[in-house]
Amino acid sequence: MKARDSLPLAFLRSACVNGGVTAGETREASLGKGDDATAQSHGFPSPRVPSERSAGSDSGGDARPATPYDFSRKYWAFAIPAVIAILAVIVFPWLFTLYMSTQDWKIGGGSAFIGWSNYAILFQDERFLEAVGRTFWFTALAVVLPVILGVAAAVVFHREFPFRGVLRTVFTMPMMATPVAVALVWTMMFHPQLGVLNYLLSLIGIPPQAWVYDPSTVIPTLVMIEVWQWTPLVMLIVLGGLASLPPEPYESAIIDGANAWHLFRHITLPLVWPYVMIAVMLRTIDALKVFDNIFVITQGGPGTASETMNIFLYLQAFQFYKLGYASALVVVFFIIIVLLSLLLLYARQRSKWNA
Amino acid sequence: MASTRNLKRVAGKLGFAVSIFVLVSPAILVFLWMLSLSLKNDADNTAFPPIFIPNPPTLDNFRDVFAKNNFLLYLWNSILVTGGAVAVGLLVGVPAGYGIARAKSAKFAFLILIARITPALSYLIPLFLVFQLIGLNGTITALLVTHLVITVPIIVWVMIGYFENVPMELEDAALVDGASPWQGFRHIALPLARPGIIVGAILAFIFSWNNFIFSVVLGGKTTRTLPSAIYNVLTFEQISWGPLAAAALLVTLPVLLLTVVAQRQIVAGLSAGGLKDG
Amino acid sequence: MSQHTSRGPSRRHVMQLGAAALALGAPAVVRKANAQSQFDWKRFAGQKIDVVLAKSPRADIYQRYEKEFTALTGIEVSSEQIPEQQQRQKVMIEFTSGNPSFDVVNLALHVQKRIAAKGKWMEDLRPYLADASITTPDYDFADFGKAGLDYATQSDGRLDTIPIFVDYWMIYYNKELFAQKGIEYPKSLDELKVAAKALTDPSKGIYGFVSRGLKNANIPVWTSWLLGQGLETIDSSGKLLTDTPEAIWAAEYYRDLNKNYAPPGTIGFNWNECQTSFMQGRAAMWLDGIGFTAPVEDPKVSRVVGKVGYGVTPPGPKAHHSATFADGLGISAASKKKQAAWFYIQWATNKTNQLRFLKEGGGAPARNSVYADRETVTASKFGPQWFDCILESAKIGRPGLPVIIPVQEFRDVFGVALTNTLTGADPATELKKATEAFAPILAASEKG
Repeated sequence: MKARDSLPLAFLRSACVNGGVTAGETREASLGKGDDATAQSHGFPSPRVPSERSAGSDSGGDARPATPYDFSRKYWAFAIPAVIAILAVIVFPWLFTLYMSTQDWKIGGGSAFIGWSNYAILFQDERFLEAVGRTFWFTALAVVLPVILGVAAAVVFHREFPFRGVLRTVFTMPMMATPVAVALVWTMMFHPQLGVLNYLLSLIGIPPQAWVYDPSTVIPTLVMIEVWQWTPLVMLIVLGGLASLPPEPYESAIIDGANAWHLFRHITLPLVWPYVMIAVMLRTIDALKVFDNIFVITQGGPGTASETMNIFLYLQAFQFYKLGYASALVVVFFIIIVLLSLLLLYARQRSKWNA
Repeated sequence: MASTRNLKRVAGKLGFAVSIFVLVSPAILVFLWMLSLSLKNDADNTAFPPIFIPNPPTLDNFRDVFAKNNFLLYLWNSILVTGGAVAVGLLVGVPAGYGIARAKSAKFAFLILIARITPALSYLIPLFLVFQLIGLNGTITALLVTHLVITVPIIVWVMIGYFENVPMELEDAALVDGASPWQGFRHIALPLARPGIIVGAILAFIFSWNNFIFSVVLGGKTTRTLPSAIYNVLTFEQISWGPLAAAALLVTLPVLLLTVVAQRQIVAGLSAGGLKDG
Repeated sequence: MSQHTSRGPSRRHVMQLGAAALALGAPAVVRKANAQSQFDWKRFAGQKIDVVLAKSPRADIYQRYEKEFTALTGIEVSSEQIPEQQQRQKVMIEFTSGNPSFDVVNLALHVQKRIAAKGKWMEDLRPYLADASITTPDYDFADFGKAGLDYATQSDGRLDTIPIFVDYWMIYYNKELFAQKGIEYPKSLDELKVAAKALTDPSKGIYGFVSRGLKNANIPVWTSWLLGQGLETIDSSGKLLTDTPEAIWAAEYYRDLNKNYAPPGTIGFNWNECQTSFMQGRAAMWLDGIGFTAPVEDPKVSRVVGKVGYGVTPPGPKAHHSATFADGLGISAASKKKQAAWFYIQWATNKTNQLRFLKEGGGAPARNSVYADRETVTASKFGPQWFDCILESAKIGRPGLPVIIPVQEFRDVFGVALTNTLTGADPATELKKATEAFAPILAASEKG
């Protein structure tokens, strides 16, 4: 069963988990132990990867050697409705965007072919280049901080304590709450004169901050919201990893007199590292695409201090109506994200972090 | 000696409790502040130092939200768009997840992955132009179709994982006995994968419900969904934080309730590598 | 303006007669009775129109009295107010999408005039005005002032909207704070800066001056100062004047005030945040449009009721102007109920509603006749100083934004430059950079 189970799936998942954790079952079964019986009774999916196969190396999955009862061709029929839907709302827009990126689209209607011009202008557009740099800076912060905090949170929530289930639910709420709604509340909290945050700071003797009202603090502030919102996702992923850890290494280490930090650094961390890598990957992709919070809270301001690629894209497309130009931007943005994702996968494949 | 060890243990426990507090309090603070704002009048909301506990609490803000806006209409729009997109997503996504898992199509799985990675905003320009061409801009249909961008990939993605874990032996046996692949899917794999369907549906629902930029651009006056309504119609004028906080709370309430009720499913779905939308 | 004033004599005659026959602000019923012989208000009864307004005291007034219109015409109105920035964006998206969900729309003419023409968004209202079967005889179009009509009329003579109000930029000031420091209202921009400095007391959380710092929204502040040098941002030949010494001087002036004498955070302030600061008594002066008055004198939201002075923007080194803006109501070219929509516009821009702007602090109406009734207006809580501020500003009004197609990009590019000066960037460098960035955009837009 295992050999045919996971072959096609999940580059990301498999590539990251591959090798680090012995088997999906361990984790699946143990995730549920403790306060709430999560997984085993429901058969939740888990990163289950054959150890002999690295997902990055071969993706030609549909030509598997035939088993005696290979009906795989027939299974294609099941995907037809989805294929149609995906062609219509996903693949077609991609192609149309490619086409649009060569056009000069006009407000009164009509458009003209201008070849690579949109791209040429784009790469000379200082504001775009600044936005790219800013996006990377934001992404670096919005990956590193939630990952560190998320791992710490996972270690905390891995232990037994009263009300663990309830507190974990509370902890995950920021992630699920409607971003616009939450962003509006943050906006009120940041108000330079009447905001509750500055008041809370004053209680502990910290002078009022300008938060999103100062170009030098706007990115850190937005990162703070991102941390608030997405640390729980990292926590959940790593928690899944922790649940699958075998007890033996700990037992022997404790006998050797290792302290808590040593246990974490030399046993826990290497073992959950594959899960941390998943988290890094997901966070990177999400952080690059950040939009809702910035759009609602600062719209890229003050000035252009929080104008990321996605905000710049929106501005060009739906504020200035340069739809051709914006399409070129989408193509470049898309390439950046995919390349970065592949790079992370590749880095994961190359380095053998797991001890 | 014993007392120092005791002290150490107490200190350790205390430290642990503090770390839990530090982790959880930001989440509590924001949501409680939202609640507090929604239950106070504007004079109290803009008071400085801030008034934390509404005294007495007032429901005027909530009344305002319903009285001064088409809140129920926007709610209905949200239900139509999200409900429709999740339903269609399940209809096409569940069989697709099955087909892909069984056909072991890595290419297709990769396509889905890329679709999940692509910024949602980038679908907006082409779809906007197409809807313009066929006169669908500002309709519920246009919004529903656009929300498929969110729901289909996530449902397929989750379902692939589930169907992979449904043992194939039973189906193989049925197939050998002359059952069609459809029968194998319908009567054997589908019932076994029901938890997965629930997970997929919940995640698709949440991400679709939370999306607002599609509706900001494509929604019309009578078709906008709740999140875009709160952005477009209810946002700041003067400092009327009370009604705004009340509206924000109402918009996100269904999702928060779902988070509480379906915590297990969400945890399972996300920890298995779900991506958020957008 | 010739196209407006040179209508057929008979028509003008009729309009004047109609106007004369009516007492100002006469109840709708009476008006209907008077005009009944010629005009049927109920002609489109039963229709339902959609109206999209920008959030403002004007829109409040329209919504408050909407029922009057329905009673008069039998036409149902579904109207909504959307915050200004979102409204402009939304209107633009809907027009571009070819399927706008509204029949009547409020356009910010200082921003959307040219783009509306280019996108052929609006119905030309001239034929409507000329058609006696759908235009009430007492409408009195000749009553509209030049400033508003100039904004509403396209270069080819099309009348895309009926102007509803003209916004003059002036200074709201807190008389109490002025009195405490023994300071008079400034008579020049130099004096203004001195006063702002004297009034600033951060230890008490009080600042001498507040104005918009948010990119896009901050442009009129800068152009207000630039007008003091006798210049607009673009000259009559279409050349950008945005990196001239005068423009740099205006940007420096803008920076000095907003950086040194304004509350922290103005970099993210639009008019509403400025208004809040002023209404909380935390800013002694606030430069903005006179159309934002209503809440300032509303005790429910304002702590400075009765203490507000309304000052004309002081003269600059070379000239004395008030930056001017205008809104208009028009009919979407794609509307299927254009005539019912036209009825709404006639009602919304009639003398009664225009007078309400004055009485209820909604800003300066576009009709001339409503200013004649000094008594009625000055008896309102806004008082004679407010009224005189409008009249004085009107005499020195000059457009506060360039009349070009890419106004949004203009506001964005130069707005960013101005915002940057607040955090230490050099005004001259920023303006030069912005001018270089914007020049090709402007050139491309004029090519069509």
